[in-house]
Amino acid sequence: MTWTTLSFPHDISAQDDRDSEAPVVIGSKKFTESVVLGELIAGLAQAEGVRAEHRKELGGTRVLWEALLSGDIDVYPDYTGTLMHETLSDHRISDVEHLAAVLESHGVRMTRSLGFNNTYALGMRRDRAGALGIRSISNLIGRPDLVFGFSNEFIDRADGWPGLQRTYRLPQQDVRGLDHSLAYRGLVDGALDVIDLYTTDAEIQAYDLVALDDDRGHFPEYKAVILYRADLVDRHPEMAGALGGLEGVISERRMAAMNARSNVDGVPETVVAADFLSEVLGVHIEVELTTRSQRLWKHTREHLTLVLVSLFFAILVAIPLGVIAYRHERIGALIVGVVGVIFTIPSLALLVFMIPLLGIGAGPAMVALFLYSLLPIVRNTHSGLKEIPLPVRESALALGLSPAFRLRHIELPMASGTILAGIKTAAVINIGTATLGALIGAGGYGQPILTGIRLNDVGLILEGAVPAALLAILAQSLFGIAERFLVPRGLRL
Amino acid sequence: MSFTVGVGETVALIGPSGCGKSTLLRIINGIVPADAGYIDVGDLRLSRDTVDRLRHRTGYVIQEGGLFPHLTARDNSAVLARYLRWPAERISGRVEELADAVRLPASLLNRFPLELSGGQRQRVSLMRALFVNPAVLLLDEPLGALDPMIRAELQTDLRDLFHRFRKTVVLVTHDVTEAAFFADRIVLMNAGTIVQDGSLSDLEQRPASEFVATFMSAQRITHGGVA
Repeated sequence: MTWTTLSFPHDISAQDDRDSEAPVVIGSKKFTESVVLGELIAGLAQAEGVRAEHRKELGGTRVLWEALLSGDIDVYPDYTGTLMHETLSDHRISDVEHLAAVLESHGVRMTRSLGFNNTYALGMRRDRAGALGIRSISNLIGRPDLVFGFSNEFIDRADGWPGLQRTYRLPQQDVRGLDHSLAYRGLVDGALDVIDLYTTDAEIQAYDLVALDDDRGHFPEYKAVILYRADLVDRHPEMAGALGGLEGVISERRMAAMNARSNVDGVPETVVAADFLSEVLGVHIEVELTTRSQRLWKHTREHLTLVLVSLFFAILVAIPLGVIAYRHERIGALIVGVVGVIFTIPSLALLVFMIPLLGIGAGPAMVALFLYSLLPIVRNTHSGLKEIPLPVRESALALGLSPAFRLRHIELPMASGTILAGIKTAAVINIGTATLGALIGAGGYGQPILTGIRLNDVGLILEGAVPAALLAILAQSLFGIAERFLVPRGLRL
Repeated sequence: MSFTVGVGETVALIGPSGCGKSTLLRIINGIVPADAGYIDVGDLRLSRDTVDRLRHRTGYVIQEGGLFPHLTARDNSAVLARYLRWPAERISGRVEELADAVRLPASLLNRFPLELSGGQRQRVSLMRALFVNPAVLLLDEPLGALDPMIRAELQTDLRDLFHRFRKTVVLVTHDVTEAAFFADRIVLMNAGTIVQDGSLSDLEQRPASEFVATFMSAQRITHGGVA
């Protein structure tokens, strides 16, 4: 038997090699400060000669925490208050020592504070707050007419709006959830009166905002720390020292200034981070900036891979499912029902559901896209077959052909136009939905869109949105051409 | 109900619409399951195991032809032979032969059904039914959708074919004149049962029931009006 030549010890050693050579994967949340901190970590890794990969702008604390536990990322910056009052709130953690112990029980370690506290605050435009005479959060109690707009995470977090509302008994009902960077724009435009701030946000100064006094002491401290997997130190011992180098060296002013350089002046986070490392730590790293065309090519490759792989497997699975649905009415109703329900799950929710099962990155994004592609293809296969006129179906039956022969030579060719239309719909939906993949680190055209929203940079948003739209149009016309080859001529007369 | 068709005989099933004559045809080739009873074709009794062999012995032609729109006339006619893995040469020989027999111009063989007239489509459908030389032909209103000129022409061609190839034929029609044109024996059905089985003159002169008499006189009036 030739199978015996497969040697297991060899395989295992290959696995070990890969582990020590695998890059350190850094995660960051989708606001500028987190991305800058991620770049600082990446810069330090580079200085230590460790290959690092920065998965930036992942879709929220939950995504990062799950990804850290599953090993999809090795390290990411977070805040003590977030960990104690949100992520690990079940543990009722009282202080930082307790927090470190709980993290350790999850196989996670934490650096000491990086030196600054980035707490939540409620913010208003200085002129508006002055005109209304509002200086503290308690002043808001008598103003139920004010419109509040909070980042989506803040609305749901125990230490966010629900806790705040309880502490101060705030009467406001009209509270909207939106992206943090968009909230700033709403505030400046006057659509919102009060938003949540991160106290080191560059926008506070840039837009001349005031942070309302937390006079009942609701918000805890949010000291910035770096979380990393305990096994990272085994694989890359040098990283522990490198991460330690960031402890206590970033003041609040310094962090706010870095945020402002990136968000207001438009300096790339990589450069902001490299300048800090060289000025404060004396660590010099090389900054390689990508050009627009390099980025475009990378995002195109990522996006196409997401769409093509998911669509390929969807076709492979959905056409047989559609055939089964056509052949067996009862099972058919079930199949069409189930893929229909899957289709209605909001894409963001589906992506987040899959993190504990599949982690982050292109894999789970492809699975989500695959699931979404099933409905249009299954439904069109099913209806394309069902729409074959009864006389034709009976003629095929009366000839005494086997079911397999009928399917391959009569039924599927006759349904091919409808099936192809289903695949086309799936492809176009996929191209659009794949932009959300960036929220779980899958890259693609969603990445520049996310960054563009964060930095209020329309050019960057278009760098993702325009190619995605063009790709959808291209797909449409490719299917038009494919129709000429795949749909028999007799049906196109 | 029970009735037997002899080898080489042509029997016409007539009756008002909804009387079950088409269903009877579809029971014979197993498209519709019979509630009870049995169907024998030659030495084969219809069952789950024999249904495909039985279908290979019975050619079936329906009103609109039921041609496969994605296949050319040639491929439509040869579907069953392909399935039975006839060699290509034998297939093309048989196509020529049958096109000749049903008087379909060879130039039309590469056309798709939508590029053919109604009469041409029925000729292709007939080729398909005859392709593997079945003993029995089942025809369900084969001329029902054609205009009178083409209909008359095809009627003659069909009758010649039945006689030339000595096929056992069961033909469904709602038209007594057409039934008499094809068949010496006419089976009149009503509400799922056979009400009379005999020649045209039997039905006209010795109606078995009030219904037969009414049906026959109604047919006379209709045709008197047209003629």
